[in-house]
Amino acid sequence: MTAETRITLSRKDSRFSKSLNKYFSNLKGVVGFAILIVFVIMAVFAPLIAPYSPVEMTNEVLESPSLSHLFGTDHLGRDIFSRIVFGSRISLSVGFVAAGLSAIIGIFIGSFSGYFGGITDDVVSKVIDTFLMIPSFFLILIIVSIFGSNILYIMLIIGVTTWPTNARLMRGQALSIRERTFIMVARSTGESEMRILFGHVIPNGVFPVIANSALQMGGAILTEAALSFLGLGDPNLTSWGKLIFQGRPYMTFAPWTIVIPGVFVVLAVLAFSFIGDGLQHTFNPKTKEGE
Amino acid sequence: MGLLRILDVNINYRLKSKVVKAVRNFSLDVNEGDIIGIIGESGSGKSTLAHGLMRILPKNGNMEAAEIVLNGRDISKISDAEFDELRWVEMSIVFQKAMSVLSPVHKIFDQMYDTILAHRPETRKEEAKEKLLGLLSVVNLPSEILKMYPHELSGGMMQRIMICLSLIFNPRLVILDEVTTALDVITQGQLLDEIDRLVKEFGLTVMMITHDIGVVNELCTKIAILYAGELLELGNVKDVIFSPFSPYTKALVESHPDLNPHGSGLKGIPGTLPDLVNPPEGCVFYDRCIYREDRCMERKPDLVDFGKRKVKCLRAGEING
Amino acid sequence: MARNILEVKNLVKYFPVRKFGKKQFVKAVDNLSFSIRDGEIFGVLGESGCGKSTLGRVINRLEQEQSGTIELLGETISGKEYRKDREFRRKMQMVFQNPYDSFDPRVMIYKSIDLPMKINGIDSSPENRLAKMIETMNHAKLTPAEGLLTRYPHELSGGQLQRISILRSVLLNPKFIVADECVSMLDVSVRAGVLNLLLSTQKELGSAMLFITHDISVATYICGRIMVLYAGKIMEIASGEDILRSPLHPYSRALVSYSPTITREEKQRYRISGEVVTPIDPPPGCRFASRCPIVQKKCAVEEPTLRPMGNNRQVACHYV
Repeated sequence: MTAETRITLSRKDSRFSKSLNKYFSNLKGVVGFAILIVFVIMAVFAPLIAPYSPVEMTNEVLESPSLSHLFGTDHLGRDIFSRIVFGSRISLSVGFVAAGLSAIIGIFIGSFSGYFGGITDDVVSKVIDTFLMIPSFFLILIIVSIFGSNILYIMLIIGVTTWPTNARLMRGQALSIRERTFIMVARSTGESEMRILFGHVIPNGVFPVIANSALQMGGAILTEAALSFLGLGDPNLTSWGKLIFQGRPYMTFAPWTIVIPGVFVVLAVLAFSFIGDGLQHTFNPKTKEGE
Repeated sequence: MGLLRILDVNINYRLKSKVVKAVRNFSLDVNEGDIIGIIGESGSGKSTLAHGLMRILPKNGNMEAAEIVLNGRDISKISDAEFDELRWVEMSIVFQKAMSVLSPVHKIFDQMYDTILAHRPETRKEEAKEKLLGLLSVVNLPSEILKMYPHELSGGMMQRIMICLSLIFNPRLVILDEVTTALDVITQGQLLDEIDRLVKEFGLTVMMITHDIGVVNELCTKIAILYAGELLELGNVKDVIFSPFSPYTKALVESHPDLNPHGSGLKGIPGTLPDLVNPPEGCVFYDRCIYREDRCMERKPDLVDFGKRKVKCLRAGEING
Repeated sequence: MARNILEVKNLVKYFPVRKFGKKQFVKAVDNLSFSIRDGEIFGVLGESGCGKSTLGRVINRLEQEQSGTIELLGETISGKEYRKDREFRRKMQMVFQNPYDSFDPRVMIYKSIDLPMKINGIDSSPENRLAKMIETMNHAKLTPAEGLLTRYPHELSGGQLQRISILRSVLLNPKFIVADECVSMLDVSVRAGVLNLLLSTQKELGSAMLFITHDISVATYICGRIMVLYAGKIMEIASGEDILRSPLHPYSRALVSYSPTITREEKQRYRISGEVVTPIDPPPGCRFASRCPIVQKKCAVEEPTLRPMGNNRQVACHYV
């Protein structure tokens, strides 16, 4: 496209900036985002932020929080603050990857099923219903104990067991969008079904999935923490959940070893829950800014 | 004989950050026996006006009036509880879609009896049934209807039922809010014929809210033209339609293709409605008026009385009607 | 002698409906045959349930008929799977009833017009397409064109959106346009702009149109000939003038007499009783028999065929 054409077609206020404004006018969304940013910075700049090495063992065993050790030390004299900082990398990665995978699978399956209908839809709906009946955590537990606790497997497994909610959301959207006039217009002007699906149906229907994905990120972090707490986490990596697991024996006389990582897990889930609310507010055409 | 006197009504809707002035300085006198058609397009405020009169505006709606005198009594200042007493008894309303007014899981009789009980709790079933059967026969509906459910009936039938319901307590004034808009042509025509008969038989006074000027021409005696929340012209139907004084009325009538084969050169009204959050200082129709002059923009014209005609235009009477 | 751009023969479209376990059929389009001349605006007039919208969708190939043939410029377009054939799609376009929903709300108007052009190979480069768009919009007095093109659908009025819908179709150089109730959702003062745009499209490009409506005043303004449908069957085909001044079929007479007008005279009602009939497993004979004021014994037994009545008129009635 030429420069003239691009200039002709430009506008000052884009949809994106408008959506951004709307998102940041919602208190929950702002708070959630703030917490997340802190964690992300923590994860990305871990080596610069952590005062000590997360694995260096010292003689200062089970020391309570002090000026030199902000969150105290664990049973091997390791600085908990540094371990939390480095642990954020694991926990956040699990959140993003698992939820991301769940979203992608859910969007594809849900949109195909809802848009094309027919036998595919009948089958997919039954599969979704079945998955929703099974308590997902136990399913994950079983699969992890069979296949092993490699962090990659855990991310994969969480993603592959949580896509049904996203699929259901996407399917519902696809079902209603396919009746809209602009879809009939698209067919009438010669657009292929695939182009309609990816160009119109998914972009218009994906919002509930995005909002749900935020929640699922929190959920994935919590699931991984739970797995680690039960001893099924990746033995080579230290997530926040693993820290809780390690602090367990010392709970009564060195509570900081277990409480502090626990607080971080809770904060992460809270942050994503707020972000999810903020996203829902942003995408809801009925709410206005500042509500 | 004056039945209803509306003086200076203003209705606002409060949105999050702004206030929409949906109806501004509306005044109207309705005499007994009038069938007055309130004509307006989208954004004219006609339905808002009806809802305001019946005190059924949504929560963010607010109505103020200098006076609303019904049967000699100013009802604009009475409490909501007092208004509940007179609603349906002295003044009632029929809406556009009977489908959304009636509950799908209750029989027709039960729903109508329910309404009767809401106002006259001492009414016995037999009494109610007798009254209802009487009304149904006037609109040519069989008595079996009472035992049926809404989904078993057609749109036309349901509207007739709603009209019966509105007449239960012999109100003096009935407001019909776009009652034929959702109906097919022939059903609409049949319903209008019914309404005509009911008016004559019960001596009703009717306020007919619609966007269809043909309907007003065939059924009504008087006509009020609303545009963007303001009353622009008022008078007898034939006078106003065939010799309009307001440029908006003229343009509106000329937009109607009517039953004219190849009446070529149909003129619409180019342009869009003014912003109702900041309505113009001068004439509300200024932007789209082909007869406008500079003075029209400066100040709002008064509603001038021409005898049987009221017009809000500085050039009223100058344009060829 | 003008040729026929569209020939419809014995077109049938039924919809299955399940009522209390028994499978029944709504005979929405029941054995229709008619033809449309090149450059003609052909009206389809009827009340709800008469099959006019279904007819429009079948002709535009958004629905598949059960049987019957449709020929566009001599080429059979019926029978084929309705989603394919891009070459056909370009020739046959449709304007829908709801202008507010006719555009993807997430997409700028420019893109909504550009994409169909690109897909159909109209003008190879984005610049050429944009120039063509602007030229067409200026010609239709939809200005300022650049301003409108950079808007999103929710920022435009119904009248603007509908006119842009028409232009979107026109830019594909169609031979035939189906307009399905395209002014029903618009205010009266806005309709003229849309109707006049359709008329000028017909005049300048010679496009033929199938104009579907329930409003007789709109139909007679814009259409040449009008086909009156009732419960899936054709009642009458005649010019707009004939339908208004001298309707022959009792249903046409009723439609004219019940349509509200702005005239000084008192109109005489051609009274008919009852309600619009949905053609679910209809009884034999004429579909209108149950409501017809001139019904006779034969009407409930034998279905009337569409007979030519001279002056390019056809009526389906035994007693007219």
